[in-house]
Amino acid sequence: MNNDIMILAEIISAILCFILVRFMMKPYQYTGESRYIGLPVGFSFLGASYLLMGFALYFETSLFVEDIKWLQLFTQAYAFAFLAATYYFSKQTLKRNTRLWWQIIFSALAVGAIASYLIVFEPPPFDLPSYKTVDEYFRGLNIILIAYITVHTLKSHASQPDPKTIWIPLGYVLLAFGQYSSLIWSLDSSFSAFVGAHVIRLAALLIFLFVAYQAFAASQNETTSNKGS
Amino acid sequence: MRTIPRRDRMKIYGDVLSVIRTEARTGKIILTRIQLKTNVPFDRLKAYLSELEELGLIQNGSSLKLTEKGQQYVVEYEKVIDFMKRMGLIYR
Repeated sequence: MNNDIMILAEIISAILCFILVRFMMKPYQYTGESRYIGLPVGFSFLGASYLLMGFALYFETSLFVEDIKWLQLFTQAYAFAFLAATYYFSKQTLKRNTRLWWQIIFSALAVGAIASYLIVFEPPPFDLPSYKTVDEYFRGLNIILIAYITVHTLKSHASQPDPKTIWIPLGYVLLAFGQYSSLIWSLDSSFSAFVGAHVIRLAALLIFLFVAYQAFAASQNETTSNKGS
Repeated sequence: MRTIPRRDRMKIYGDVLSVIRTEARTGKIILTRIQLKTNVPFDRLKAYLSELEELGLIQNGSSLKLTEKGQQYVVEYEKVIDFMKRMGLIYR
């Protein structure tokens, strides 16, 4: 029963991420700036990581469950890495150097992701650390990456305070807490930490969706009603 | 000295279209006012306006005005800018 709820939470998280990808694509579509492509890529990876975790929970007894869990670990870390890189490059002014560095970082992350996936299916001849150890390190890394994004969004909010811009830092803080709860769960197997991680994460994703809705759908309704009056 | 960040063409197009829309509400559109509000040199503003006309986003007849396509573009552009601001992304 609990497992079913966890699978459902993973599937809902994945669906929310894939809905968000549609909105996250727009800055790239409208500005044509390649530095914003990290946003939809990041949320696609995040959605894929939740989907993989759902698979891992569903096929608990399968031979491939360990491989799926490793894939999930890498996918989630790359999701936050893409998002952090996007935020880092968004504050840079438009120079040829910035574009070049973004292309180098983006390519390095893409190559790193492919190399990580190859390691999962074709393990190297030397022994890798256990999944649990790597999972803990990756959770720590994810928290650092999300903390960077949170600071960036908070600075952006502080530079031009507006009630509309406080939601996203809150969303990222909740994502970081979700990762922290997962870390606690992997350390002490506390059930409440595991449930908390899922609930907090869902709340974070709903905040992102609310922000996207406010920016696109809500303003669409306003425009329509203005035209009507 | 504080330097003004360089804008890409898409941002300039968006800014020019937004200003034209705002100015159209107030009455007659004066190019000098668009130039001042978008911070674009006059010769380049003329070039951008002819590019926007070629793209079918504005009509430059007796007076300057946005086409239906231009209206739709500027509405979407402003939504995207608002979304980016909400997301904490800096677009300059």
